[in-house]
Amino acid sequence: MRTASGGIASALVALVLGVLVATHFGSQEAFSRSLQLETPASLTTLIANLAEKNGALREEIFDLRLRVELAQEAIASGRGSLAEAERQVAQLRVFAVEGAVHGPGIAVRVDGPFDDRALGDLVNELRNAGAEAVAVNDVRVGPRSWFGLAADRTIVLDGAPALPAITVRAIGAPEVMETALTRTGGMLGQLALIYPRTRFGTSRESALELPALTRPMP
Amino acid sequence: MRAAALLLPALVFGVLVTAQWRAQQDRSEIAVRYNTPLTEAARSLQHEQDGLKAQLAGLRASLDAIGASAASQGGAGRELQARIDALKERGGLAPRSGAGVTVLLDDARGPVAAKDIDKAICHATDLTDIVNTAWRGGAQAVAVNDERIVGSSSVYCVGSTIMVNGTLLSPPFQIAIVGPQSALLAAFDDPSQLRDIKQRRDAFGLGFRVSRAAEVRVPAYSGALTVKRAAAR
Repeated sequence: MRTASGGIASALVALVLGVLVATHFGSQEAFSRSLQLETPASLTTLIANLAEKNGALREEIFDLRLRVELAQEAIASGRGSLAEAERQVAQLRVFAVEGAVHGPGIAVRVDGPFDDRALGDLVNELRNAGAEAVAVNDVRVGPRSWFGLAADRTIVLDGAPALPAITVRAIGAPEVMETALTRTGGMLGQLALIYPRTRFGTSRESALELPALTRPMP
Repeated sequence: MRAAALLLPALVFGVLVTAQWRAQQDRSEIAVRYNTPLTEAARSLQHEQDGLKAQLAGLRASLDAIGASAASQGGAGRELQARIDALKERGGLAPRSGAGVTVLLDDARGPVAAKDIDKAICHATDLTDIVNTAWRGGAQAVAVNDERIVGSSSVYCVGSTIMVNGTLLSPPFQIAIVGPQSALLAAFDDPSQLRDIKQRRDAFGLGFRVSRAAEVRVPAYSGALTVKRAAAR
């Protein structure tokens, strides 16, 4: 009897020990990333994003094929390819942030405490939603723009202070950008939780005018 | 003797029960059912994207050849082509190489307690912070795992997966930066910059290393330009 109860006790101890060993091992294993570890909801979002980017690539391929054909025909007929070159310049001026631009988009107003990293995240989110050109107040955001904090905690963009009340204006598809920011769990919802004393607002704009870069790119 | 005989099976049983319980906790029935087809769909789309980018590069090269041919005739064609080349350089559509620094950002590779995993892995915001510091330090060109950072670039995070320019990327992240080495190193060494990353490196083993590099190569942007609504004045 004594031997049997001792055995059961030992077995119980071993069982608990086994649970502890497995739990400890599990908590110490190095995290490894894999798409397989994502939830179906995350994977669905990733797939939608990939499909959208691939759609944009397909559209540009279709457009470029046409332009190559037209340019080749123009050269063959002795008209030259200046029209195509001018078209490229117009497109590249917007892409490379050279000069002022205009177009539809949205305005995002931030009134209250805010910081440089949050402003950078907001601009990043707008770009992810397809913003083609962005300005913070009246300062254009360029390809090499950076956000920081001055000694007095004022947000600076490319070294120049931004006003306490910030308006970010972005040219692009207004409905897409606004939905990306204001959807449940979206950027503005997150920021509103982090900055409870700050008011955020968006508006769709049919015609925005964004200035050229204040300082030339080095 | 009998107690000893029970000891090992009980130990193994305990390990197995716990492992099974943990596995079931981590992966719901829905995840098990849908993850494989969804993962395959995501990989297939990424593979398709690689092919589309290659096609786009080919078409851009064709347009370049047409432009070069027009430029060789002189006059307006030459001027326009010079303008196109300068804009491509400015916008990140031409590769760039030169002296600079490289930054390595990686998930902690050593053992990490489950409660600290979030602090031991890299996040999209870490990448945006590093890129921001690079521009602050005077960088002229930046790429993350060969994805060139341009005016329209975004770093996007879903779950623990990171996309740059709409392309799926996995750690380790190599950030290649062309620019003035001393100013770049000073920006990365500045204690007021990247405080969170440096603290997580020291406390949780997050991989973060900045190195001087005599020759850094940053490829051209290979994605879509997507200029549809904005027009130059």
